[in-house]
This record gives sequence, C-alpha cells and structure tokens, in this order.
Amino acid sequence: MKAFGYVSAKDVAHAMALLGEHGAKAKILAGGTDLLVELKHAVHNPEIIVDVSRLRELSDIAIADDGLHIGALATHTDIMNSPIVCGMFPALVEAAHSIGAVQTRNLGTLGGNLITCVPSMDSGPALLALDAAATVASSAGRRRMPLADLFVGPRKTSLKPGDLLVDIVIPKENLDKPAAFEKFGLRKGQALALVNVGAAFFIDKGNFLKPRIALGAVAPTVIRAPKTEGFLDGRKISPEAFAEAGRIAATEAKPISDFRASADYRRDLIAVLVKRALAKALARATAKQKELVA
Amino acid sequence: MTDVTMTVNGQTRSASVPPETTLLQLLRENFNLTGAKLGCDVGDCGACTVIVDGQAVNACLMLAGQADGRQVLTIEGLASRDHLHIIQKTFENSGALQCGFCGPGVLMSAKALLDENLDPSTQEIRDALSGNLCRCTGYTKMIEAVQDAARLLREDSRSKLTHARTEVTAP
Repeated sequence: MKAFGYVSAKDVAHAMALLGEHGAKAKILAGGTDLLVELKHAVHNPEIIVDVSRLRELSDIAIADDGLHIGALATHTDIMNSPIVCGMFPALVEAAHSIGAVQTRNLGTLGGNLITCVPSMDSGPALLALDAAATVASSAGRRRMPLADLFVGPRKTSLKPGDLLVDIVIPKENLDKPAAFEKFGLRKGQALALVNVGAAFFIDKGNFLKPRIALGAVAPTVIRAPKTEGFLDGRKISPEAFAEAGRIAATEAKPISDFRASADYRRDLIAVLVKRALAKALARATAKQKELVA
Repeated sequence: MTDVTMTVNGQTRSASVPPETTLLQLLRENFNLTGAKLGCDVGDCGACTVIVDGQAVNACLMLAGQADGRQVLTIEGLASRDHLHIIQKTFENSGALQCGFCGPGVLMSAKALLDENLDPSTQEIRDALSGNLCRCTGYTKMIEAVQDAARLLREDSRSKLTHARTEVTAP
C-alpha cells in the first residue's frame, strides 16, 4: 500500500471535523474489507484514512419512533446476531449471512457494503424492498434520503466528500412486513451473487398489498422492479402470480454477460429467484400468523 | 508513524509502524509471529486468520492501527510449552492437514467457532471454515477434526463442571 496518514476518530464530531478538514483527500475506514483491497490495488490514493471503526454509537441496532435503525457500522455478524433483526426481518439475516465468510462478516459493515456500491451487493435488495432510508451526516447537518437515492452507478454513490453514512432506517409502517432474500452464486461460500432478489408485501384479504421487488447484480445498481410491483399490486396471492411476477421481473433488468454468467442465464435466474422470494415471504407471513393465533 | 499497543497471545506488545502496515505485517515482521500466513492478501483465502477480541478476522484486511488496544490471538497462542491445544491434537489425529499452509488460519477459525459453540452442526462447521481455502482438498478430515475437538471440549467442560460441583458440595 502507498503511504497515507491515519487517524482513529474518537467520536462522530471528531470524524466529521476530520472529514471536513480533509475533504476529498480523506477516505473513511469502517470494516476495511473492501477499502484495504482497493488501497492495495491503488484504486484510491488518499492522503489520510479516517478510521471510524471504533465509533460504537454508529453500530447500534434499535427500534425508534420512526422505525428500525441499523447503524452504518453494524457488522454483518452484528446483524445476524441481533435479536431484533432475527425476529423482525429474517431476510436481512439471510442477506448478511450470504456475504463473504465469517472473517469478512466480522469486520465488514452494513454501511461499507452499501457505500462500496457494487451492483451485486447483498445488503441492497432486501433493504430496498423494505423502503429503507439512509441517514447521512455532513457539516450542514443530517439528512435522510431513500436508500435508492444513494446508489448512482457501479462503485458510485451520491455521497460527497465530507459526508458520513450514519444509519439505515426501515420505516415503522414496514416493521411487520413479510420479506425474503434470495441469492444465487456459483458456490455456497464466498461467492458474489449472479443475481440476488429482495421481496416484500403485505397481505390484504388474500391479495398483495404494497408489493416490493428489488433486484441485484442485473443492472448498474440494485434496482426496484416497478412493472412487477404494478402487476402484483392488489392481485390475489397465488403460485401462478409468483411465477408471472418472475417472468415480468426478468424483462425489467439489464443484466450483462461476464465471466460469471451470461445475461440470458441471469434473466432466467431472476424469474426463478423472484418466484422463490415471493413464496418464502408468504410462508413467513403464514408462519407468523399461526404464531399469533397460537 | 502509528503507535500501537495490544495484547498478543496474553502478552502486551507495542510497536511504531507506518500507518499502511496491516495487522498481518505487524504480527509477522515486527512481532516475529509467522504462524499467520500471507496468502491472497485480499481476504479470500483465510491463511492470515487470527482472533481479535474473540472474532476470527483476516489480519491482511486490518490495519495495525485498528488493532490498537485489542486482544489478538494467533496460532502461536494455542499450544502451551508442554501441550498442544485440543483442536491441534484432533487435527493431528485426523490427518486433517497436508501441506499445512492453510492450517494456522483453519485452526483459528475452528477455535473461534468452538469458543462460541461447543456443539456445532456439520453445516455450522462448514460455514465457519468457508473463509479458509485448502488447496490440498482436505475439508472432510478438517470437519471431522473439529467435531472431535468439540466432543472432547464438551467432555472437558463437563468434567470441570462436575469437579467444581464436588468442591462446592464438599464439607
């Protein structure tokens, strides 16, 4: 690695001051599982590394008045071990568990996974399907934006130098929303997604209510599938609807062919994974209802 | 330079290193602990796995500064002067290592797993070792070795528990 300065931020105010002072010459170090690789490959040549990994206040996972807050520095392991997330959103646990291996999940953070902004990020689809928002701190104060607005393109976010991702918020109206995450990679361990899918919907008298479908690794960023959502909205829940939703979703993506898979193969995977994710979300909703009745 | 002080295998160690030094470089080059290996250097192979504050991590993906003030355990910290650690013994008995390059990392991943879970399922063992690549294709015996170690550690903790109870109830 090329030489750089290093400061471990003592608290959020200290981190913000450092980022304000050094602007584009600074890089934020959270888990480091992506950043250190990029530094070794000289993708970035920062003058200074601002290490925020000790800011425990940014790793809390807690319910507040406006919804579930997951701190940007929560590691994938933290998410998998959180009783709140396990109870409310098994889809987020599945997504976290599918990232890398134990070693990378122990270091890697939710915020880092989102900020690195590769199209195949596993944290993206389930959160997008749950209408998550992102809180960003800057010298001008804090702002909240839809998570989708964070994603601009491959490895490109809308954050500016001096910005710090604080947390991800799942709005309170979605706290009980059945959701699922599906991923297909070439291996079970340490594999990037060829396609990953997030799905969520409420059930209203046997019909889909507020259906959300998000697709990863098949467009420049993680995307929603609005045509598929429109097809499902208000429709009677059935295996046939799951399958048709998969077929429509496959037409909404723009997958590329690369050494991992062809575009055609990825489109086929979208159809299958959307169908599976919808079925899994339904199974979860049914199980939860039985629990409530019992 | 970045000044770091940490506990490595129970001993306080300090160094002053350039900020771009990784934990792996610090361990190998400054502390002469060459058990953790440099394999891929990008977090894929797990040969550099060490335990930091109870969690298995890739030492190649941590800056030395990030480990300042923390508890680091490396393969050198497993055995005592007289005894191999139970995990090391079961790996030896099973013939779970061939060339051995991946061994220190695999053993630390196994140790981190068994510290949290003394009765892991085969799937949980596979998951715990999925970040450690062995190119001698020796996973089956490794999994058996971890299962054996788990069983022995369970028996060990049961006998300690019984022993402690006896002491408490003794007049």
